[in-house]
Amino acid sequence: MLDRLMLCGVLTWPLMTTCSRPFPRGCSRMTADPSFSAWFMENCMENRRDLAALALSSQELSRKVGLRNGLRSSLLASVAVLLLDASLSAEARSVETAFGELEIEGTPKRVVTLYEGALDVAVASQITPLGAVTTRGGDGVAAYIAPQVPKIAIIGTPREFNIEAVVALKPDMILAPPGLDLTQYQLFSRLAPTIVPAAAELTSDAWKAQSRTYAEALGDDAAAVLEKRLAAIESHAAHLKSRMSAPQTASLVRRMPGGLLVMSDQLFATGLLTASGYQLAGSDLVKAGRPHSDPLSDENLSRIDAQTIFLATLDHTSNEAVEALASQPVFQRLKLASRQGLVGVDGQLWTSASGPLAAEALLKDLDSVRDDLHDQDRE
Amino acid sequence: MPETKLYRSPTFCSAVSTPTSPLSIASAPAGTLWWRWGAVSLLVYRAPLLAACGLLAALLMSSLASLTLGSAGLDLLDALKAIFGIGEFMHVFVVQELRLPRLLAGMGTGAAFALAGCLMQTLAGNRLATPGIIGIDNGATAFAVASVVGLGASIAPPAMALSGAVVAMALAFGLSGGIGTRGYRFLVAGIGVGALFGAGTQLMLARVSIDVANNAYPWTVGSLNARDANSVIWLGIAMLIGLPLALWLGRGLNTLRFTDRVATGLGLPVARMRLMILWLSVVLTAAAVAVAGPVGMVALVGPEIARYLSRHKGVPLLASALAGALVMVLADLAGRTLLSPLEVPVGIVMAVVGSPYLLWILLRSPR
Amino acid sequence: MQADEMIPRSHVSAMSSSSAMPSSSAVPMADSAPATRKVTGRLALWKVMPLACAIALLTCLASLLWGAGQVGPMQALKALMGQGSEEARFVVYELRAPRTLIGIVVGMMLACGGALMQVVARNPLAEPGLLGVSAGASFAVAVALLLGIEAAGMHVIVAQSGALLGCLFVMSTVRVRGARQDPVRLVLAGAALSSLLVALTSLVLLIDQRAADEIRFWVVGSLAGRSLSALYHCLPSLLLAVVLTLWLARPLAALVLGEQVASGLGHRPERVRQITILVVALLVGAATALAGPVAFVGLAVPYVARALCGADIRRTLWLCLPLGVTMLLTADVISRLVVPPSELPLGVLTTLLGAPVLIAVVRARRLPTL
Repeated sequence: MLDRLMLCGVLTWPLMTTCSRPFPRGCSRMTADPSFSAWFMENCMENRRDLAALALSSQELSRKVGLRNGLRSSLLASVAVLLLDASLSAEARSVETAFGELEIEGTPKRVVTLYEGALDVAVASQITPLGAVTTRGGDGVAAYIAPQVPKIAIIGTPREFNIEAVVALKPDMILAPPGLDLTQYQLFSRLAPTIVPAAAELTSDAWKAQSRTYAEALGDDAAAVLEKRLAAIESHAAHLKSRMSAPQTASLVRRMPGGLLVMSDQLFATGLLTASGYQLAGSDLVKAGRPHSDPLSDENLSRIDAQTIFLATLDHTSNEAVEALASQPVFQRLKLASRQGLVGVDGQLWTSASGPLAAEALLKDLDSVRDDLHDQDRE
Repeated sequence: MPETKLYRSPTFCSAVSTPTSPLSIASAPAGTLWWRWGAVSLLVYRAPLLAACGLLAALLMSSLASLTLGSAGLDLLDALKAIFGIGEFMHVFVVQELRLPRLLAGMGTGAAFALAGCLMQTLAGNRLATPGIIGIDNGATAFAVASVVGLGASIAPPAMALSGAVVAMALAFGLSGGIGTRGYRFLVAGIGVGALFGAGTQLMLARVSIDVANNAYPWTVGSLNARDANSVIWLGIAMLIGLPLALWLGRGLNTLRFTDRVATGLGLPVARMRLMILWLSVVLTAAAVAVAGPVGMVALVGPEIARYLSRHKGVPLLASALAGALVMVLADLAGRTLLSPLEVPVGIVMAVVGSPYLLWILLRSPR
Repeated sequence: MQADEMIPRSHVSAMSSSSAMPSSSAVPMADSAPATRKVTGRLALWKVMPLACAIALLTCLASLLWGAGQVGPMQALKALMGQGSEEARFVVYELRAPRTLIGIVVGMMLACGGALMQVVARNPLAEPGLLGVSAGASFAVAVALLLGIEAAGMHVIVAQSGALLGCLFVMSTVRVRGARQDPVRLVLAGAALSSLLVALTSLVLLIDQRAADEIRFWVVGSLAGRSLSALYHCLPSLLLAVVLTLWLARPLAALVLGEQVASGLGHRPERVRQITILVVALLVGAATALAGPVAFVGLAVPYVARALCGADIRRTLWLCLPLGVTMLLTADVISRLVVPPSELPLGVLTTLLGAPVLIAVVRARRLPTL
């Protein structure tokens, strides 16, 4: 708000100084003309941050308008100020980020995402980001989203960003992961408005709040698209739930050489599983606030026993992992689990990604799992 | 015992006060330069001086390369102008915010690591005895990782790395019960303490989520990508004090390379000298580790290059520091540009580059 | 011990650069005076061995009784006696028994590997983990995984080749540099080598992030989830190592007395040393292929064995078998019990148990230059 007032002041000053200029005919028409406000917007609003540029353009404005007397000039000035203020509040959106409220106007065109969830939201909003980080344990972006962004530049890994590569892309918006540290934030926000979603506690719905933050920053259209998609995802999950005759148990684990990791029930994927009607087994093994458990000892495999076990690997070897697990005597002793109920899934999607597209892809996986099970039931 | 004439010389130069009589002009010893101004004369060994100048020139060249090359393309003129804030915003940003601090941090850490390495090598009479190998790096890594995974009582990783280095050395020192002749007992105790801290690091990393492990990753391999401005300043202070102190200790260091009897006979307080050198080396390493994480290989390679270039019986402290800075800057440049846009941490580049050196040191026949 | 204390300090402070010292005047290691051992009251093997075996058996039993799961010691005991629930029997016979068996083999191999390496390096600090031999093995496996070699049987051979390279490398530094007077040089060389290999393994992890999960196992040792089939792959090389060791015992014991003595007794010191290095590589490589890098077993166990019954390699090796089992299984049992329902990495625990022994060695023994 303060900077808005400052802007008004800067704008008014050259108007007042040029009040002795001859007043051209049709001035009143001009102010009323919508094309005038369009011109005004174009010249004054593009670089709102750059006060000097703004003062120049407003001088130009007053020259164009050419004021004749004090009364009119002050009138026009106040009109201009009001117009400016009104246009600002109409166009700028304020986005709540981890580092305070950020005012953004216009639709960003050169977006760089430093987080898989942000990439997902941007692509879902029809905005193709210029750069993104690799997925965990991969050399490029996650497989589910890669076909939609074939030309995306890789600007680092989740553990290290190459800031120079970000600079080289000349971004006008940076979508950063929640939990970005302050020094990095300060660096990035000198390049472009940097959106860091407020770091919520680990909950299965946190991804929705994060996605909304990113979408708001990307523009009203993006926010609307996101809401539509979120609603569709909820109804898709509800549909899956309604198709389930009796509640089924499921668990989501990731394979590690030392044992299986049980994923928390407060994650993106496990949240969707719950929404789709599954009861999660084994989440008591995960300490509060942790995304997954320590590698589970073989002796305790029964703690994750469930009708459906989703086994994720970050590489593309989930099928081999499924075979390996299924052949173990420990697995064969599980009461609920069967070979059919052991489903290999893509860890890049299930245990690393988040966002609306990831949710849709994940629910599609669930659809096919259901269909398989139904087929087997019929047989 | 090799027949070596002992010049009164710290590293490569010394101010010797001579009688003012114009008749007492002696010819300079071979391989040295000698100037006199009245009561003061300066005797400089030629080879180390040339080595230092050469290294300085190379360091300057590689610094310019480091400012110019990278993902965001800049030409030399742009880069130079950007240092002073002239030019496009992007250029100024890249140079002032990204490359220049990184370059300075690289030079500082490289110099500190190599200087500490040179000191400890001389102390132990062994080219393999560098602070990294005997566990200081492991201590620093363990503490920094503890801070990253949330066990560090909310102290920032650089501060924790600093204290980890000191704690590791204090432990090794206490457990070995004194540093022993040539500090050997201390070195082995250091290896043991280092192994313990290494195990602790693995333990912590094995029990946290992949994201937290990712955050801790730079601290386990050594990287200049995420530096902390404060710790760079501390490193600068440590170097400002440490380098003159090391040069001052240099003469004693030269003597220390002989047996204790000879050194004591030459009037050197051997035990106190050892202790001072040891702690200077530890403090320098700790300050460098707090900035860049464990890049211990520099401490091995830097002094080796310096020794090769100096061809001098003395301890090439200044040349070591310069060579360390040069190697570090080059390694970081390579890590930034080779696999661009992905960065290879400088610690890994150093390991790959340093390994031929290490093999050479280990395998070459005794002189 | 006394033998060393009698060495004049002038030898102690010999310049490291002046390696012109004739080898006959090389300062003998603490191990190299078995004659004084008996005087200082070492126990006879037949007195120690039954006790050591009994303790090893107890740890085996503990390994069967305790686990990270819900089957407690009482249930497991019942299962062992043929009673108890079906679940308990399964856990004991199908999960804990194979794991214990692997632990026994790995413990024996590492302890004997360490003892042999110490004899051949004439250095009580020569430990395969500390000297980068295990690191060589795991680096070789990481590279093999990077190149896409996945067959389980290959791991053993690859790991053994890596171990052999590491072994040859680090031993050649001692040989070339004539550093037998200087035991710390070997340890420093080993520490340098292993830190190098660890860094290179990180590089492999960086290059191929997909294999990262699989490779990460080779960085930290563990017995979790290892199947008996992995053990079968090791058996041929294990057998070879046993045969070679039996053949080596006598020449090695002679070698401890000094090279000239060994030659005088009709052994060829160089040949003996080469074969011993091969055996060490076979043992350590196989152990690493089974359990990942597990450090300090090869240091602590021979140290204790020598302290109990003297430095004669023929006795040390026998005693290393039960003691190695004891140490490894103790570490493994602790690793299961600390953080149920999960487990700690075994390599971490052996380090925590073994590193104090390293410091004890440094403090207690009067190494020539310590």
